[in-house]
Amino acid sequence: MAQNKTQQHIRTLDIAQKIVANIDNGIIVLDEELYVYHYNKWLEHHSKIKEVDILNKKLDDVFKIGSKTLKRKIRTALRLQTPTFYTASTSKYLIPIKINQIKNALFKYMQQDVSIIPFDEEKGLVALILTDQTIMASTTSLLETNIEIINELNSDLIKERDTIDKKVLVIKFDPTFRIIDVSQALLKLLNYDKEELLNKNFLFHEKYNMPKKLQMQLVQAMQELRVLNFEESTLSAHGHKICFKSTLIPEYSAKGKHIGFIIFRENITDSKHLAQTHEKILASSRSAAMGEMVAMIAHQWRQPLSLINTIMATLKIKKELNTLTENSINEAFEKIQNTTTYLSDTIDDFRDYFKPNKLCTDVNLLSLFDSSIFFLKEEMHQCEIKYTVEIQESLTIKTFKNELLQSIINIIKNSIDAFSEQKMKNKKIDVKIDAKESHISILIKDNAGGIEKETLKKVFEPYFSTKSKNGTGLGLYMCHTIITQHLKGQITMSSVDNGTQTLLELPYKLIKEKK
Amino acid sequence: MPDYELSDDEKDVLQELMNVAYGNATAVVADMIDAFASLSIPHISVISTNQLLSTFAELKSESYFFATQSFSGEFSGESAFFIDQTSAENLAKHLELDDKEDLDDAILELTNVLTSSLTTKLSQEMDTEVSFSLPSLTKVFMTNIHETPTFQHYSQVIVIDTDLNFQDQKINGKIFILTKDESIQWLKTKLNSILELLI
Repeated sequence: MAQNKTQQHIRTLDIAQKIVANIDNGIIVLDEELYVYHYNKWLEHHSKIKEVDILNKKLDDVFKIGSKTLKRKIRTALRLQTPTFYTASTSKYLIPIKINQIKNALFKYMQQDVSIIPFDEEKGLVALILTDQTIMASTTSLLETNIEIINELNSDLIKERDTIDKKVLVIKFDPTFRIIDVSQALLKLLNYDKEELLNKNFLFHEKYNMPKKLQMQLVQAMQELRVLNFEESTLSAHGHKICFKSTLIPEYSAKGKHIGFIIFRENITDSKHLAQTHEKILASSRSAAMGEMVAMIAHQWRQPLSLINTIMATLKIKKELNTLTENSINEAFEKIQNTTTYLSDTIDDFRDYFKPNKLCTDVNLLSLFDSSIFFLKEEMHQCEIKYTVEIQESLTIKTFKNELLQSIINIIKNSIDAFSEQKMKNKKIDVKIDAKESHISILIKDNAGGIEKETLKKVFEPYFSTKSKNGTGLGLYMCHTIITQHLKGQITMSSVDNGTQTLLELPYKLIKEKK
Repeated sequence: MPDYELSDDEKDVLQELMNVAYGNATAVVADMIDAFASLSIPHISVISTNQLLSTFAELKSESYFFATQSFSGEFSGESAFFIDQTSAENLAKHLELDDKEDLDDAILELTNVLTSSLTTKLSQEMDTEVSFSLPSLTKVFMTNIHETPTFQHYSQVIVIDTDLNFQDQKINGKIFILTKDESIQWLKTKLNSILELLI
């Protein structure tokens, strides 16, 4: 009985009134014309408007609100006898309530969800229930901003991945060597479809048939999970051999788990081809030099051979005239012996010039430009070219003598050839050697007409020649290779005062020994 | 393993109930948009979730406004309302809405009207009550719809396809009433008791 009494007592207290007054929601009761019938305490506190000041007034007279939409929603709620809504996500707020929350700097006004529920069908009243959704809206807004940032980053990543896919030669495989990805760039180079390679064993797949030794190296590096740099070659779908400089890198997941391997490849087919071409050029150049050597020997031998011939003829005549004495025979033999020794020496000299040195030696530059090129000096004499050398007598450098000599012969021979193509007087070739602080400068200058500007740009290119005949186009290319790569110096060529000027700059001491 | 498939008889009763519910919605929609409007007789079908995804694939327009609203009670589930870009723009034009938020609100209102008119009437007929949560709106690209895993939570889907016809412009929308297995079971029981009364 007592319990029933208590329950009755509670019922007599207006439960709804109590709850409406204390609930953490705004509640307004109003009719279709927006006249306010009730305004709860929560709203009084938040909007700073007392219920007495708003009762029987139209809501849109007190607050700036979209009355057309609100009236429509109220009508719908009454008609359907089900709630209608405003959501904070689209409508932001209905009643402007200023907020001062530290956490929510994003919004000036409280973000609200509003439910319009039918309250009294007969009187046409609805209750507006306002729920503060500011924190939710703020979180959503932050999320949206972050999602936008993530999307931007993601799209950047996709772009970068796309670029890598298109530009970088990459192949990926799992710890069991099963190919799991191949970049588009690599597929394009090899002319394969991805499906032809995916899920195949990287080591034993026929498309990637690699030498056993390299396979062993790779397997070992993979087992030890270490980086390996290596060179490999493979055939494209069209059967072209493609050479790679490759790097094997173990791949790990974000959590540090080993998930496979990546091989980054660099296509070195062209440079390999270039190196082979370069070797061929060097070989041609050596042959050309040998040819020149034979020509020079022939030239050098002509006079001594004719001398021997003369001696022999003289001996023969003397014998026929019976004027041959023992003395004259000995004299003739001695001359012949001297001459043949000279012939032999000539061969040795030439052979030495073209025999590449293994070690650097001290080279006396005066001797190099004087006695070492005796055969050229003779040729210059015959061509009436005045040859002068300006140098300090004791100047020496440590370098590969024969290679430097080969270059000098080439340069001077070019000047001689330039003179031979034109008739002129006062022909001269001057050599001036200066000891600079950091290097030796050798200037070889002629007055044979010089070289055209356009031609100058190409003189060091292989197979470039202006000579009408017998020009291999390799002489100056070799000079350039020798001076810059073997002797670590510089060579420049210019056209000055109707002549050609070649400047060699060489280090005093070539430190690095030639391999 | 309970049978969640609706029999032909059950489907017939449901169609009847939906027709009544939909008639109720027409007047409210016309009032809401303050113009002479009519809703075409809805085409109602009950399909599985897998079929639903292929139905989405048939939607021609590239992007849709996609509003959902959940309802709770003995009969519970979620409604999904699709309205294509052109229809949404036509709706905005008709309601003279200037900004996007007003349009979003109008779509949500339309969703709410359709959902509540359908489910309230349906629940009244089946002697139960439902309460509604706030509807929410997202714009979806149809290419991404298959990636929405939440559809898989539902087994049977009641699809109501309708046209909202205005004097000068056409607005087409599709509403899907998604229900979970326990509600289907409840619905089947209710539909069968109505069937028994009819017999």
